[in-house]
Amino acid sequence: MASITSKLYSDDVSLLVVLLDTNPFLWSGENTTTNSLSFPKFLTHVFSFLNSILLLNQLNQVVVIATGLNSCDYIYDSSSSPTTVESLENGRMPALCSKLLQNLEEFLARDQELNKDESPPGIASSLLSGSLSLALCYIQKVFRSGPLHPQPRILCLQGSSDGPEQYVAIMNAIFSAQRSMVPIDACVIGAQHSAFLQQASYITGGVYLKPPQLDGLFQYLSTVFSTDLQSRSFLQLPKPVGVDFRASCFCHKKTIDMGYICSVCLSIFCKHHKKCSTCGSVFGQAHSSATTTSDRKRKTTES
Amino acid sequence: MPQVKIIAKNFMDMVAALPAMKLDKLYDNTFICEAVLRSLPPLAKKYALQMLYIDVPVPVKSMEEWVLPDGFSKHRVAIDRLIQLRVFIENTDRKRETSYLLHPKFKSNLQKYLVYGGVLPREPMPSNITVRLPTLEELDAYALEQWECFLLQLISSSHAERLTNFSPSMMKVFQRGLLSQREKGPRLTESGFQFLLMDTNAQLWYIIREYISNSEDRGLDPADLISFLLELSFHATGEAYNINTLTEIQRSIIKDLADLGVVKLQQGRKESWFIPTKLATNLSVSLSDSSSRKQGLVVVETNFRMYAYSSSKLHCEILRLFSRVEYQLPNLIVGAITKESLYNAFENGITAEQASINMPLALESLLLFFFQSCRNIFFTSRSNILIGLKSSLVVGVPRFWMVWCLNFLYFLVYGFMGFTHLPQEGIGMIAPVN
Repeated sequence: MASITSKLYSDDVSLLVVLLDTNPFLWSGENTTTNSLSFPKFLTHVFSFLNSILLLNQLNQVVVIATGLNSCDYIYDSSSSPTTVESLENGRMPALCSKLLQNLEEFLARDQELNKDESPPGIASSLLSGSLSLALCYIQKVFRSGPLHPQPRILCLQGSSDGPEQYVAIMNAIFSAQRSMVPIDACVIGAQHSAFLQQASYITGGVYLKPPQLDGLFQYLSTVFSTDLQSRSFLQLPKPVGVDFRASCFCHKKTIDMGYICSVCLSIFCKHHKKCSTCGSVFGQAHSSATTTSDRKRKTTES
Repeated sequence: MPQVKIIAKNFMDMVAALPAMKLDKLYDNTFICEAVLRSLPPLAKKYALQMLYIDVPVPVKSMEEWVLPDGFSKHRVAIDRLIQLRVFIENTDRKRETSYLLHPKFKSNLQKYLVYGGVLPREPMPSNITVRLPTLEELDAYALEQWECFLLQLISSSHAERLTNFSPSMMKVFQRGLLSQREKGPRLTESGFQFLLMDTNAQLWYIIREYISNSEDRGLDPADLISFLLELSFHATGEAYNINTLTEIQRSIIKDLADLGVVKLQQGRKESWFIPTKLATNLSVSLSDSSSRKQGLVVVETNFRMYAYSSSKLHCEILRLFSRVEYQLPNLIVGAITKESLYNAFENGITAEQASINMPLALESLLLFFFQSCRNIFFTSRSNILIGLKSSLVVGVPRFWMVWCLNFLYFLVYGFMGFTHLPQEGIGMIAPVN
C-alpha cells in the first residue's frame, strides 16, 4: 500500500549535509574577500546556522563534512549522540561546538601531513568532488535505513576556485544527486563565482548564492538555505543571472568553450584524437578531407 | 484524517487562547518558546527564524515579497498563526502601515538557543544513586501497558483488570463525547470509534487536552500545566530525574501522568525519581504531525473468519465492536464476522469512509475486507438484497448511505486489492431496489 508508507514523516523533516571549505590557502588572509571574514567568525556563523536547523524540528539531522586540500572527512553527525547534552554550568562550550572543533582540528592536522612538497601557485582548489561523494554516500545509507527517513539536501560552503581536473568527478556526483533527487545548494564565500556549483544548483534544483556582505552570513543562511524542500516551492529564492556551462576537456583538464565530442560517450576533447580515451571507439578518418571545416571548428584553448 | 489533525493541533489553539499576559509569562520559559516554534507550520518557522536578529519592524509588504503568488494562502495561514500565538506583534504607525516585530522574550530565548544549543531542563540523577533503572525496552513495554490499561478502563470499565488512580469523575470527563449512554449500558459513539483508530500520540493529546480544560475546576492554573507538559517533552528518555526538583503542583500532575504511562515513578532508599518514557518525549513531535503507525497483522478469510496476531486486550475490544470473537489464545485472537456483529457496528454509526482513510495498516485492511464481506453477505442473492436493505431500514441506517458506502467500498476493494475472484452476482453497480 504505497500511499501509506511513502509519507511517514511530516514534510519538513530534513537532513542537511554541510560541506565546509577548509582550504588553508583560502583562509590564510592572502585573499582580499575573506579578509573581512576570518575562519573563527565564519565558524560562529556556521554553528548558529546548524543550531537553527536543529531547532526547527526535533527530528532534523545535520552532518558536516570538511573539504580539505588533499582529503575530506566527516566532522560531525548530529544523530550520533542524541541524548547526551552537556549543561552550561561551568561555562563549558556546548556539545555541538566542542565536538565539531575537536574533529576539525584532528582533520586539519591529518590533511596537512598529506601535503605534497610542491605547492601549486595561487590558491589551490579544495577537493569538492571528494566531499560531494562522501555526502552522497551518507545520503544513500540514510535512504536504505528504512521507510522512515528525512528529506536530504546538500549545502556547499565553498570559497576556493574550481579545479578543472575535478570536472569529471564533480559532474558525475551532480548527475547522481539529480537521480536521487537531492538538491545541491551553494553559498560561495570566495572572490569569484564557481561555475561547477552554478551548474550543480541548476541541474539538481538547488539555490546558488554569492552573498555580497559576508558579515551577515548567518542571515543569508537562515533566510535562504534553512527552508525545507516542501516549502521552497512557495518562496521566491535567488536565481542566478546566468549559468556558466563551460566544460573542461578530458585530456588536459583545461576549461574550453568549443571542442570535439565523442558521439558514443560524449567525452569532451580539446584536440583531435584518433581514439576516444573513455570508451575506446575509433574516430572516423573524415578529418583529413574536412580539414577546412575542422580548422574553423577548432578554437584555441584558453590558457 | 483532517479531523485527527484538528484534535492534535487544538492543544496549540488552547495555548493561543490564553490571555495575552499569561502567554507573555509563558514565553519566559525557553522550552515553551522552542515547543511553540516547532509546532508552527513550516513557512511560519522560516519567518520566525529570519526575524530573530532583526530589530526594526518589518513592513507587511516586504514579508509578502518573499512568497510566490500561488503560495499566498500558505503565507496568510502562517502569518495568522504567528499573530495568534503572539510570536509576531503587529504595530501600525502613523502612516497606517502595519509592520511585524518578534516578541522580545521569545526572540532573546531563541537567540540563546542558537548560540548555546539545546540544553536540558534539569540534570539527570547520578547513576550511583539510581539503581535498577529499566532498559529502554522495559520502559516502552511499561508505557504501552499503562496506556492500554487506561484506554480499556475508558471504553469499558467492566473489562479492565486493574483500575487506574483516576477518580470516577475524571474518567467521566474523559469519556464525555466518546461514549454515550444507551439502555444496554455505555456504548461507543462515532467519535469514540475515531478516537480508538487514532494513533497513540493523538490520543494522548486528546486526553491531555480534556485534562487541562478540566483543571480550572480543580484549582490548577492551565498555564502551569501547559508549561510543565511542554518542558517534559525535552527530557531524555530513560534518564532518572529527582522528584524534589518539581514544585507541589507538578508533583500532583506527575502522579496522574504515571497512570497514563507518560512517566515511570521509582523509589530509591532516600530519594524518589521519575523516568520519562517515549510517550513523554514524543509529546512535542506530535504537535505538528502524527508519524507513528501501529504494526499488526490481521488475516481475514473469505469464509468471514478472522485471525488477529495480537495479545493486547485493547485490540480484542476493538475487534469485538464489529466481529464475534471466538477464541483468545496467548498471541492470537480468532473471530468471525457475522450478520449480528455487523448490525451492531451499524448501530454504532460506523460508516465506511471513516474507517478507510489514513488508518493503521492492519485495521484498514481488516475493515476493507470487512465491508467486502459485508457486501458478500448481503448481496449473494436477490432475496438477501431485500433482507439487507430492509434490515437497514429497521436498524435506522439510511438506505442511501448503505448503498453508497458499499458501492464506494466495492470500488476501493476491487481497485485496491485487485481481486478477481469476487462472486459473479453483485458485480457492477448496486442499485437500490424500488
